[in-house]
Amino acid sequence: MNRIVQGMNIKDLLKTVREADGYYITNTARDMSQSDYKNRILLHTDLMAAKEREKAGYFSLEITGGASVHVDILRKQVDPFLKLKLLREAMPNTMFQTLCRGVNLFGYRPYPQNVIRFTVKEFAKYVDVWRVFDFMNYIPNMKAVFEEVQAAGKILEPCICFSTGPEHTDDFYVKKVGEILDVTGEDIVLCIKNHGGLGTPKRIGDLVSSIKNKYPDLVLHYHGHNTDGNDIGRITEAVLHGANIVDASDHSFTGFYGPPPVLTVMQTLEGYGHKAVTVDAEAVIATSDAIRDQRPHYDIFESQFRGFLPTVQIHKLPGGAMGSSLEQAEKGGFLDKMPDILHKELPLVQKELGNYWSVTPGSQILWTTAVSNVQGGERYGNVSGDLRNLLLGKYGPFPFYKPAEWIYEKVLGADWQKVLEEEGGIEDIEDMDIDKERKTLTDRIRRKPTEQELVLYLQHPNDAVEFFKFEAKFGKVYVLPPSIFLKRGGFELGEDITFTDHKGKGHLISIGPAQMNEEGETTIYLTVDHHNRRYIMAAEQKAGVAAAQSEIGKEEIEELAAVGDVRAPFMANVCEIAVEVGQEVAEGDKLVVVEAMKMQTPVLAKIGGVVESVTTKVGDAVKPGAKLVKIKTGNEEKEGK
Amino acid sequence: MKKKILVANRGEIACRIIRAIQELGYTAVAIYETPDNAALHISVADEAVWIGDGPRCDYLNIDKIIKVAKNHNIDGIHPGYGFLAENPHFSQACADNGITFIGPTAEVISQLGDKVTARRIMAEAKIPMVPGTDNLPADETEAVKMALEFANRVKYPIMLKATAGGGGRGIRQVDNDAQMKEQLQIARAEAKAAFSNDNVYMEKVVVKPKHVEVQIIADQFGSTVHLGTRDCSIQRRNQKLVEIAPSLIKDQKLLDEICETAVRAAKAANYTNAGTVEFLIDKDMNYYFMEINTRIQVEHTVTEMVTGIDIVRTQIKLAFGKPLSFKQSDVRIRGHAIEMRINAEDPQNNFMPEGGKTVTTYRSPGGYGVRLDGFVYQGFTIPQVYDSLLVKMTVFGYSWNETVDRLRRCLTNYVITGPKTTIPFYLQLVNEPQFQSGDFDTSYLENHPELLEYKDDDSEVNKLAALIAEIHHKGFNPYAA
Repeated sequence: MNRIVQGMNIKDLLKTVREADGYYITNTARDMSQSDYKNRILLHTDLMAAKEREKAGYFSLEITGGASVHVDILRKQVDPFLKLKLLREAMPNTMFQTLCRGVNLFGYRPYPQNVIRFTVKEFAKYVDVWRVFDFMNYIPNMKAVFEEVQAAGKILEPCICFSTGPEHTDDFYVKKVGEILDVTGEDIVLCIKNHGGLGTPKRIGDLVSSIKNKYPDLVLHYHGHNTDGNDIGRITEAVLHGANIVDASDHSFTGFYGPPPVLTVMQTLEGYGHKAVTVDAEAVIATSDAIRDQRPHYDIFESQFRGFLPTVQIHKLPGGAMGSSLEQAEKGGFLDKMPDILHKELPLVQKELGNYWSVTPGSQILWTTAVSNVQGGERYGNVSGDLRNLLLGKYGPFPFYKPAEWIYEKVLGADWQKVLEEEGGIEDIEDMDIDKERKTLTDRIRRKPTEQELVLYLQHPNDAVEFFKFEAKFGKVYVLPPSIFLKRGGFELGEDITFTDHKGKGHLISIGPAQMNEEGETTIYLTVDHHNRRYIMAAEQKAGVAAAQSEIGKEEIEELAAVGDVRAPFMANVCEIAVEVGQEVAEGDKLVVVEAMKMQTPVLAKIGGVVESVTTKVGDAVKPGAKLVKIKTGNEEKEGK
Repeated sequence: MKKKILVANRGEIACRIIRAIQELGYTAVAIYETPDNAALHISVADEAVWIGDGPRCDYLNIDKIIKVAKNHNIDGIHPGYGFLAENPHFSQACADNGITFIGPTAEVISQLGDKVTARRIMAEAKIPMVPGTDNLPADETEAVKMALEFANRVKYPIMLKATAGGGGRGIRQVDNDAQMKEQLQIARAEAKAAFSNDNVYMEKVVVKPKHVEVQIIADQFGSTVHLGTRDCSIQRRNQKLVEIAPSLIKDQKLLDEICETAVRAAKAANYTNAGTVEFLIDKDMNYYFMEINTRIQVEHTVTEMVTGIDIVRTQIKLAFGKPLSFKQSDVRIRGHAIEMRINAEDPQNNFMPEGGKTVTTYRSPGGYGVRLDGFVYQGFTIPQVYDSLLVKMTVFGYSWNETVDRLRRCLTNYVITGPKTTIPFYLQLVNEPQFQSGDFDTSYLENHPELLEYKDDDSEVNKLAALIAEIHHKGFNPYAA
């Protein structure tokens, strides 16, 4: 057996893989959860699968990273570190793999160097394989993570992000591989990151051949998505041309935009005489059988569109962003415009913006730009802060060509050349005062945080604090299965709910009646381990109140802004308030920054004056037309007097 | 005809008194203000009369209560503790209206309620007292002069006390001459505001004393007996939290002497009915008279447990003119009793009251040697406007160790959810070696801040159940949306 186990040193590991008579498989459970279930697969389900997945003999289990770290604390209410710790207990041998966005870590914006290093150090205690990428394939953006992973003695797996188009030649990619090897040395696994599942099988076979020709000893890991239904074809070609490791996941949970089934990959390649050397097909089947009955509970998180999308070859959205994009389209009420957005506008924007790689956070920039181009009427008329940063080169240089001048002018204004000169280029982000942040966190949660809690806080300050408060109030909720945690429509009267808490103690909760009083307060009666308990739920806000405050048209929002009544431009979360009451502002000054789809957009003053009131706060979820800031103009004052 | 007794109080003490009334075969009448309309004392009483919206004003309204009493043909009124219990006008009003006041006469309450008069009476009876003064002169300059002279004689620290104060209120410590000059005015202003009487007097501070008190009981025929000692040293800011009977001082001769002194003090004051004579005992075992409380006390239960005498029942009988049915030699102290005041307070948040919260679970301990005097039940919402005492748990045991063990068992078995309570704090206390050894004085809590360091005991399943309730109520999990 040539099984790879957790703790092997990189040289032994690479040697084993190179000499193996066949290929290896990584189970990308995290990517499947992100691409096909909006990242909602609970730790409870992963723990159910743990025993068989451990037995299955994968190269690694990709179980953290990407957007999952954020979603863990935001929507699954589980500590991403504790999750890894518990899985490690259940799976002592299997290597755990993460997906790290380089300088953007597990988030959407560059972090300071010291935060990057601190974060990688803490996660490296649990994570063996570090797949690291940058959406501009700009190697300096990944350097700090490379260094920390290597310093921690973990397996470094840098990526070349892959896409299609005339610029995306084998020569280009082979050269990129060389650039990476220059920085990392030869003891790495190299990943071809095909996050969109783009290109024909032949195209992938050619690429693998070209890289292998130049670097015959390089261990290659092919990562793809099954959005068009043909990733098995690409995987097959990759392996036939020398790829050592490929990605797939458990068939009872496979969907449309994530990985294809492990078993199908094995069966297909077996026909060509290639064996998945250490994978136990029985355990692969048993894994799917063990968790199959959990899938219906995740139904609401599956894609709005069911079926493969071969048009991905046109719009190139990464599998990991498909689900959330469609969800946004549904919530925003523009699902019907998707064909236009996906098949016309997005490919056009893609070309106009330099045909870089559509993956986080670059894919969100392309997507929000395309959506606002279609929805807003005027192309590039409503510019996100992140698009501005992209043009300013804050994410790194454009790999092939720069956007046309008219786009710079639209985004940066008439004097765009001056702006570009003054503000352009990658910024050195100042180190954060981590001790100060630790103190702030201590104040906010009224206890000393652990170093890992601090790491989470540095990534997502408000969401981390909310999570810590949630845990103090509701306990370790990862013990609840999706049938409880994701229950919709309430339980049946008299229904018995059983679960085992984190200390291994079994519990029984029976659902009793609910009673509402005159004030609208509802009392829920539960029998908890045979004791009667009452839970009082505050009255719901009257329906219609919230709706009445918003939902005004785009034109009206702009008219109001022109007289100093600044409203939210679209449904978003307020992430920064840049002014305070009494402050003087000039036209074009930043007032508030809102965030939607992880993209930040500044709301600028359309008129100069003095800030009279600020009616929102950081963290507010606002609907289009919600009041943000009021500016009192000089004119008004004169008139008043 | 069956006697009708009105209980001019609320909470656990109202329930306690109602029990005694009913055991005597009398009719118990409760009164209540609106915030108490779901209170237990209403439902356990034979009749209940609403006296107003309150809060805390109708329970204090003598005219209203007397009127209710007359309308309902009340024979006697028991005032409990707090509210009107030590208001001589109330006792007088009862007397004037031909209603039996279950407590001492207005004159006795008035004399003993005035700390200076009380000291004068005790001085005449040669009761040992902490060196102190009469009321300080109203003139500021003279008052300061007198204060400084006194301080020079007995040495600091010294207490400035409001003559009309009590229950731990209206007291200020002064450590030097400069402070004295400054604090005197403040103490006066405070006394004026709190008790409508700006008289203040001084007492030497007994450093780290034990607080020992003697339960006395006297009939109207000159018979006065004591029911032994109680130790109330475990206090927080002069408010008692834990009381034990008898005092654990090993010198029985000293305790006997203190008890006899208490009887002498009561006699000197012409005391009738039940009362408590409080003493401070310094580290050299000198004891000093502090005051006489002219009411039934919260902690009377411990004395009942170790003597077997129902004090409230006895109070009622004596008030209606019966002689004491036992002599001093009949009173035997057997075993030990500890009472803990289980309050709806958050000890970790400066004992902040948790009023307004609903008791979601109430499971009380029971069994041998356990007595509960409370008024909460599952589903009861604690009114915000009254004190935070939920239930007094009194445990009895043959030896001190047995009693502490029983206390620990009962605290562990006590489940109250909804409001935070002092139970987890008491659990820390019963496990603390100095408490277990029985050797503590009034500085005990100050010296054991670690008692507050416990983990919130809301169990994991209750937290998870709270989430399940929310998922059930909303029809989806709002934290996973």
